[in-house]
Amino acid sequence: MIDVKDLTKHYKVHVRESGLRAALKSLVNRKFRDVRAVDGISFQIAEGEMVGFLGPNGAGKTTTMKLLTGLLHPTSGELRVGGFVPFKQSNEFKRNISLVMGQKSQLIWDLPASETFEVHRAIYEIDDRSFKKQRDGLVELLQLQAVIDKPVRQLSLGERMKCELAASLLHQPKLVFLDEPTIGLDVHMQEAVRQFIQAYNQEFKATILLTSHYMTDVSALCERVMVINRGHLLYDGKISELISRFAPNKRLTLQFAPGSAEMQADDGPWSTWGDVRVVRVEGLVVELEVSREAMSDVVQRVLSQLPIQDFTVEDPSLEDVIGQAFNVETSKREDDFHFNGHGADDGDDW
Amino acid sequence: MWRAVKKYARLFREFIRTCIVEEMEYRAHFVSNVFMSMLLLALSVLTVQLYFYRAPSIGNWTFDQVMILLGVFQALQGCIDFYLQPNMNRLVQHIRKGTLDYILTKPVDSMFFCSFRHLVLWRLVDVAGGFALVGYGLWHGSIPVTVWQWFLFVLLFLTAVAILYALWMAMMMFSFWAVKVDNLSYLFQSLFETARVPMSVYRGIVLVVLMPMACLTTFPAAALVNKLHSQDVLIMLGLAVGMLVSARWLWNYALRHYTSASS
Repeated sequence: MIDVKDLTKHYKVHVRESGLRAALKSLVNRKFRDVRAVDGISFQIAEGEMVGFLGPNGAGKTTTMKLLTGLLHPTSGELRVGGFVPFKQSNEFKRNISLVMGQKSQLIWDLPASETFEVHRAIYEIDDRSFKKQRDGLVELLQLQAVIDKPVRQLSLGERMKCELAASLLHQPKLVFLDEPTIGLDVHMQEAVRQFIQAYNQEFKATILLTSHYMTDVSALCERVMVINRGHLLYDGKISELISRFAPNKRLTLQFAPGSAEMQADDGPWSTWGDVRVVRVEGLVVELEVSREAMSDVVQRVLSQLPIQDFTVEDPSLEDVIGQAFNVETSKREDDFHFNGHGADDGDDW
Repeated sequence: MWRAVKKYARLFREFIRTCIVEEMEYRAHFVSNVFMSMLLLALSVLTVQLYFYRAPSIGNWTFDQVMILLGVFQALQGCIDFYLQPNMNRLVQHIRKGTLDYILTKPVDSMFFCSFRHLVLWRLVDVAGGFALVGYGLWHGSIPVTVWQWFLFVLLFLTAVAILYALWMAMMMFSFWAVKVDNLSYLFQSLFETARVPMSVYRGIVLVVLMPMACLTTFPAAALVNKLHSQDVLIMLGLAVGMLVSARWLWNYALRHYTSASS
């Protein structure tokens, strides 16, 4: 479905320092520098797959997405999506894809969402029968019955997002790009949207690409993840492998019984247990990092030797894993650090 | 080809329909605006009348002929407000906020979509008012018009609409690079204001600068009052074709360099 080889996209961005003087100076003499937003990425995605893009802000996720949807022309590299070259923007290609951006709305603000559906029907030339079938199906699946006839401006963020999804899926795209579809939603709504995406993927065998700031989205939906940072593809594979590769350790949290002596980080009994690292000590709570192999052994010792009230064993959060992965990988890559300036650019998302 | 025409006709109807529904949301707005444009029309007629108290003609055009010219101006102004102004300002918004991405990933011609998605239908009142003024000028001055002259008038009026569109479009396309260009539409508007009077008023360097604007109103009106030279028609047609082609080219060029707002 998607075939990407050595894809690069360089931007010229205009740089200026802060302050009025610099602003005036830049009015006359603009300085530009190259930002390699995407720098030699290769991957393939099969039909029906659900893939998550992960990476910090400014990593190149959104740029990659925009290259795949044909919004941007690549600087170099090969790029095929469903047999088409995206940036040629043929109507045939566009009929098969859909783009949903959590931060940007395409619904007509003052009118009910059903009006936007009508406009989309004309745009995609959907015939009456399949339009009605698809619309009713989506309304059912997203439970929009009470919502689609209210003006969009009166909807809650979650309701609006559901309508956005429905509007973008009316033409039954084979390939769906979701750019942070759950941003700003409450936990309940996030879950509803997630379930819908899952159901849609299964029912229509659609290929889905997802970026999200919420790791739960990605870990709940996608088996496969791609981690991108500074335009490089750092990891492409299963989530479970990502965790075992970058986070071989588990978190063990101990809650000591009230009244027991306060613990000190370095002289606890665990200092002799071998493969154990202290993460933090706070009063009666101690957090340890223990390798997976040593875990059962350590737990036994804890239970038999320490006056604890409670304990939990967890996998580190995906956020931590990603963070760790970046530190590991980016320090290796310091040589080809392409942001000529300082790292201030991490703030804006390309 | 025929399929494409049908598709875009259907899409245009859909745009009109949504605009009507949208307009219904603001009825008071509608009434006050129609009243306002009637007032403005009356005021511009009054200005011309004032001028003619002191002089028998403006640039060799009589009162009735100037009325016809003013009618053409008003109708063109109506066209600008009907589809150019609302769409172009939104294009700037789309680029700034990145919602152009949605339009570009849809299987429609993006230039068509960006040009006609928003129509302010009640502005057609201005167009009608303009034509009424043309009719009044013809009647009041008892100016005879042949079928051929009518044909030229319609042709030149449509050409003027096309030129205005291309000009405005080309100007707004700067927003792909400069991002914020709302002020350009004020500049355009004030330039267009100069087309209220016949072209023959202007001399020298001013004429060269204002020439494109002035001929937009002067030539169609001239067709009705028998002041048109045959080369004028060719100039207008050539200008329209050339500018439409360049606007289209510029649009495609701009899209290739579109960088999209970040999310």
